[in-house]
Parts: sequence; structure tokens; C-alpha cells
Amino acid sequence: MSEHDESRRAFIVGAVGAGAVAGTALVQTAYAKTQKTKPQPSATSEASAANRAADTFDGHGVFFNDEDVATVAAFAERLMPGAPGKPGARDANVSNYIDLALAGAYAEQQDFYRRGLAQLDAYCRKAHNQPFVKLSAAQQDDVIGALEQGNASEFTFPTAQAFFNTLRTHTMEGLFADPVYGGNRDFAGWKLVGFPGTQLYYTPADLASRQAFTRAPIAGLQAQAKASSKGA
Amino acid sequence: MAIEKTDVVVVGMGAVGGIMAAELGKAGLKVVGLERGPRLKTADFQLDELRYFQRQDLRPDVKRQPVTWRTSRNAPAVRISPQNNGNQAGGGTVHYGAVSWRLHEDDFRARTQTIERYSVAAIPQECSLADWPLSYAELEPFYEKAEYEIGVSGRAGNLQGTKIDGGNVFEAPRQRDYPLPPLQLDQSAVLFEGGTKKLGYHPFSTPRAIISQAYKGRPACTYCTFCQAYGCYIGAKSSILVTKLPEADATGNFTLKTGAMCYRINSSGKRVTGVSYYGPDGSDNTIEAEIVILGTFIYDNTRLLLLSKTDRFPNGLANSSGQLGKHIMTHIMANVLVGFDDRHVNVFMGPSAQKHTIDDFNADNFDHGRVDFIRGSQISIGTGNLEGGPISVSTMAPPPGVPRWGAAYRDFLATYYTRHAAMVAQTENLPYPDHTIDLDPDVRDQWGLPAPRMTYDWRRPNELALVEFMMKKMEEIGRAMGATKVWRAPLSQGAPGAHHEGGTRMGNDPNTSVVNKYGQSWDISNLFIVGSSTFPSMSGFNPTLTIEALAYMTADAIVNKYKKSPGALL
Repeated sequence: MSEHDESRRAFIVGAVGAGAVAGTALVQTAYAKTQKTKPQPSATSEASAANRAADTFDGHGVFFNDEDVATVAAFAERLMPGAPGKPGARDANVSNYIDLALAGAYAEQQDFYRRGLAQLDAYCRKAHNQPFVKLSAAQQDDVIGALEQGNASEFTFPTAQAFFNTLRTHTMEGLFADPVYGGNRDFAGWKLVGFPGTQLYYTPADLASRQAFTRAPIAGLQAQAKASSKGA
Repeated sequence: MAIEKTDVVVVGMGAVGGIMAAELGKAGLKVVGLERGPRLKTADFQLDELRYFQRQDLRPDVKRQPVTWRTSRNAPAVRISPQNNGNQAGGGTVHYGAVSWRLHEDDFRARTQTIERYSVAAIPQECSLADWPLSYAELEPFYEKAEYEIGVSGRAGNLQGTKIDGGNVFEAPRQRDYPLPPLQLDQSAVLFEGGTKKLGYHPFSTPRAIISQAYKGRPACTYCTFCQAYGCYIGAKSSILVTKLPEADATGNFTLKTGAMCYRINSSGKRVTGVSYYGPDGSDNTIEAEIVILGTFIYDNTRLLLLSKTDRFPNGLANSSGQLGKHIMTHIMANVLVGFDDRHVNVFMGPSAQKHTIDDFNADNFDHGRVDFIRGSQISIGTGNLEGGPISVSTMAPPPGVPRWGAAYRDFLATYYTRHAAMVAQTENLPYPDHTIDLDPDVRDQWGLPAPRMTYDWRRPNELALVEFMMKKMEEIGRAMGATKVWRAPLSQGAPGAHHEGGTRMGNDPNTSVVNKYGQSWDISNLFIVGSSTFPSMSGFNPTLTIEALAYMTADAIVNKYKKSPGALL
């Protein structure tokens, strides 16, 4: 627990205790100072998944090798594809989240991924004569559909469905977990769905609104800690 | 092996343990509390959905502390995800949604009520439904004590017999209103309020142990939404961690041992002499005590007694009745989801879990003459997993016709994440003697102890009919709320749901129950077992406030009766 969090907490407790939301402006100002404005990653057409993979390939990870990371990034992108105004798995850097997780919290699943990716490769070569990343988006979707339905040959452990379900779960985590975990780049996942992140409070007016929440910028754990250390 | 002596040893420092430590410590008894997890601080808690909701950081680790489940004696047992139990000082109250109910008067006499109003034939033959050995009136002062000491927000619906609109008009009469006004309504609550009123029902703000105004030195809730599954980052959730444990510390009579895994209750004939536990370093330790109190989740209340069998009690300590480990109950959380095209709902605002409720179809609050089940369910609005972050929402079933991945799923989430809500029917499931907890012969935990194994399948005729009835009610409410999309989430394939109860049931008869109404073992008078494991029936309500009220009642009995004259209280 860092001193940042202590001061953040002391700050918000004080602000709320002092009556409603006197701290709003302070938090927002401090928060804004800490935000780097990055351009929204541009999403390309859903049909050119393979080309897109080459454009944005992120390279070797801490667990995955180059091929693995390309495959996982392409797979995740088909699960949650990006489109103009709709950030997808690649925009969020989901493959980086999964890579870091497998080197840490999910280390016990390394073999699950190793074997799953090898089986995926064997299946794609058998069914389409190409590895997953070389397939068209439509072919990739066919492959994923076969895994989801448990209809893909070549899978023993993990089973095709278990591999699909795990990749789906980890893709959602990489899209929607706080950016400190290595995914959800520039809050891509939160922007997609309209989640404002780690807001410390909502006002009575926020609760009464039927509109999308726009009062405060999206906040994550790191920005929040910085903001409160400056604010306090 | 270290041996120490104390007056009272309490196993588990959750809802029961915290109250026992504070109340007995105040009365001058030396109390040692054993907690297998750590003692965290409010400053430890982060607004982090991955860590707390998805990875369940405040719950037992499924690999190190496994629990297994099978649908029947002949089915293979599989490991299940952690349920409502916690893994730290404060127990489940650290991460819970803090929904705080008093049971109805007829929840304490569900069997008699059913027979009187319908007939004995209305009770399924294989069911072991039993009245509680105490009435609502007996427990009422302790409910009030829990509400005021811990801090619960809500509006009375029945104040000394006077019904009050805006509160739960079906609640049992209370002597005092809640100590704190209801929490503010979010948009899901506003829509639910309107829809249910249109149908003639009686909605009200769900009572929660989350403080709506500053109370006892703690700041008011900020509606941040990181609530159910989280520790509250400002301590506005009235967990045992921020209420009773500081009180216990202040008595000067309380010692908390963290990282302490109790593995056996020691006994000599018809007395318990203390407990043995493994320390955080793997050391094997013993505490000798005049009184042993078990206050763990139902798994370990049963497991510890089974692990502590003796020649005198070959089927588990304090189990001369043969009822230990039986009559397990859990709530089935039946969900109906609603989506809106003309507005945002913003379910990420406001404290979880259940937010607004109708009690019209719970308990015996309606005439069951025309339905083929007994008892009922609360119906509440909130979010699908009682937590409103996007990871949680990504685990929910999309409406029929929408796939689970790809562009169509992405567009569904992008549109409806901020435009949906979920209703939950938290059903009262009946007790059955073949719903059990025993020791798994094949799976062991990190200490080498056999894992608790549940044998349980909720899909009984009464329960299936009840769930279907509630699903239809929720769909009706969804349409009345003005939702453009109304869809059901799939039901579990028999798996146990939330809020486990049973295993050491209380009763009036030593032949058919494990403990008396004080949680005192019929067999061993200096052994107390307190918690939802003693519930003879479960009600359609979340159990924690009742667990806390029972803990206060037992503490009162120990201080004012047992301490003066140790022995059987009844």
C-alpha cells in the first residue's frame, strides 16, 4: 500500500465528510494534469484481420514467443474485434495482458496455453493448410466457432471448448481490467462500453441521470493515486 | 508445540467471531480468536475489479482451500468456486453486499405456518422443514442491537405494528426504525420502483449495512460501486472488520491470531478442552479454553466436528443426534435481465448488491393455494453478478440470438452495458436430509485436511416450480419497467448457490438437532456453534444480519447465564 493511496483515501473521506462533493474540482484538476492525451488507436476494417496483425504486431512477450503473441492477439481480436469508434482487443493490447498474467498470476496455466496453441496450430493446418494468423477473418471465425462448439479435431488437453472459454475469459479481462495489468490500453475497453472506471464517488445528480455518465473523465488506479497525492 | 490457556477460544473471526470477541471481552472474559487468513486494513482495499471480483482476492483460494460438490451420492465430486465465505478477519462481511434482513415472523415457524394455512401434505415428503426453536420476538432485541451497533440503512415498513409506505410492509414488527435512512436510489432502483408499483406490488430500498450518513466515526457511502466482492475503500460498509474488531481490541481482553488454521477441537468425554491449530509457519499449537465457540462458515463448522471425532463421538464431535452435516440449504439466484433503448441505467453507480426489493412473493406473504410450491423469494434489482463492472457483465449470458463473441457481441456490450440491469430472485430452498457436507476422501487442502464435500442438487419439484414462478414474475416486472429487452439467465445444473445454511441445525429436541437456540451443543455444554450452519430453514433473505443477531443472543446468554452457572442453558 503506497502513501498515495493513504492520501487519496484521507482526501476523499475528508471531502465527503465535509459535505457532499466539495472535492470534485480538486480531483478533476489534479487528475487532468496527470493524463497524457494519446490519440485513439485507429481501428481498421474487420475483414483484414491478417493484414492488421502484421501492422500492429507487438513482438515477444515475457512468456509468449513471437508466434504465440501474434496468434493470441489475432484470436482475441476476432473475439472482440475493433471497428471505427469501437476499440477492440488489439487496441486494448489484450495479448500483453495475457502474456503478463501467464508470467505471474496465471503461471500455472502456462502449459495449458502452450498445448492449446500447439493444438490450435495443428487444427488450423489440418483444416485450412495455414496457421491461424494467416487465415482470413472469416476462416478465423470458423475456427473459433469450431472450438466453441467442441468440433475442432486435434484437441485433447486442453479440450477445444476449455481453450476457447479460457481465451474468451482472458480476453475480457484484458479488455476490461484496470490498465495496470497491461491491457485496456488508454482505457480502450472502458471506452467501448462506457464504464468510467474507478470513480471514487457518484453524486445525487449522477444517480438521478438517465444520460450517459460524462461528468468526470475515465479514471484508473494509477491516475487516481497520482491525482490524490497532488490534490492532498 | 506451544500450549496456552484462555477463557474462550473462538474459531473464525467473521460475523460471529467479531461479535463474540467484543461482547465477551467487554464482560471480562479472555478471548483468543483464530483466523486462518490475514487481518487487512481499509487502506488495503482497491477499486480493482480484476483482483476482487474476477480473481476473488478476499475469498478462499480454490486450490489451497478446496470445496467439492456432487449432485448425488453416486456422482463424482468436482471442485467448486468459493461461495460467500471470506478468508480474512471480518470474514465474508469484508466483501459482502451487506444486504441486511430481519427474517419474517413466519420464517421462524415455516413448518407450522405451512401446516396451519395449507396442510401437512403441502410440505414435500422428503423435506425436513422444521420450525426454529425461537421466535422472532425473542430475537428482535438482538436484531435491533445488530442494526444499531453495526450500522444498517433502511426504512421501517412495520414500526410497532404500524405499516409504513416506502418500507417493507411485509416485515415483522420492529420496535425502532433503522439507525440510518435508506441509501439513495440509482436508476435501476427507480425503474424497478415504477414497474413494481404499476403491478400493485410494494417496492422499497433494500436494507444494507452500508452507512448512508456518517456514523460512529465512519464516513458515508460514496456510491462508488466497488462494494460486493470488495472491501470498502473508506470503511462505509459496516463490516465486522471496521465495527466489532476495533471494539474487541479496545476491551484489552482479546488476542487475534491470524494465519491460524484450526484443525481439531480437543475434548475429554463430554467436555471440550480447547483446540489445536496450525500457525502461519506450519507450527502445531494448542489452546486450552473453558469455552470453545465455532464461528466459521458452514463448511468448517461441520468439517471441524467431523475431524474431531472421538471414541465417545465416533460420528463426529457433538453428533449423538446423527444430524451433523445434514439439511444443507443454499439460495438459487435466478436472474432476469432487462435492457432499455430509450435511456441509460448506469448500473456501475451505487452500492451493490441488491438495491431495491419487493417482498410480495417471499415467505408466506402471498396465498400459495393456487401454486404448486411452498415458501417464496425476495425479488430485487441490481446487477447480474451483484457487481456492476464490465468484467462481471462480460460473464453474463447475452439475450437469445446474440452470440458470446465477435462483432455482434461487442456491439451488444457497447450498447447495453450502460443500459441494462438484472433482477434476482433469491429463493428459499427447503432443507433435505440428503443435502449434506462430509469429508472428501480424495481431495485435501493445503494443510492436508480432507476437503469439505457437498452433496446437493437444488432441482427438486418444489424448487423448480418456485423458480419458474419467480422467473415469470421477474419477466412481468421487466416489461412493466419499460424494458425493450427482457431475458432469462440460464440456471445452474444443480450447483449450490449463495448463502449456505445448515449442517449443525438448532432445535428443541436433542434427538433431532445438534444445538439449542443458543448454539450450545446438546452433547457438550461448553461447546457453542454459531452461524448460518444452525438455521433449520433458510428464508428468502440474506442470512448475515440473522447470524449477527444470533451471535449477540449467544454472547448475552454466555455472559448473563452461562458465566454464572456453567452448564446446559436449556
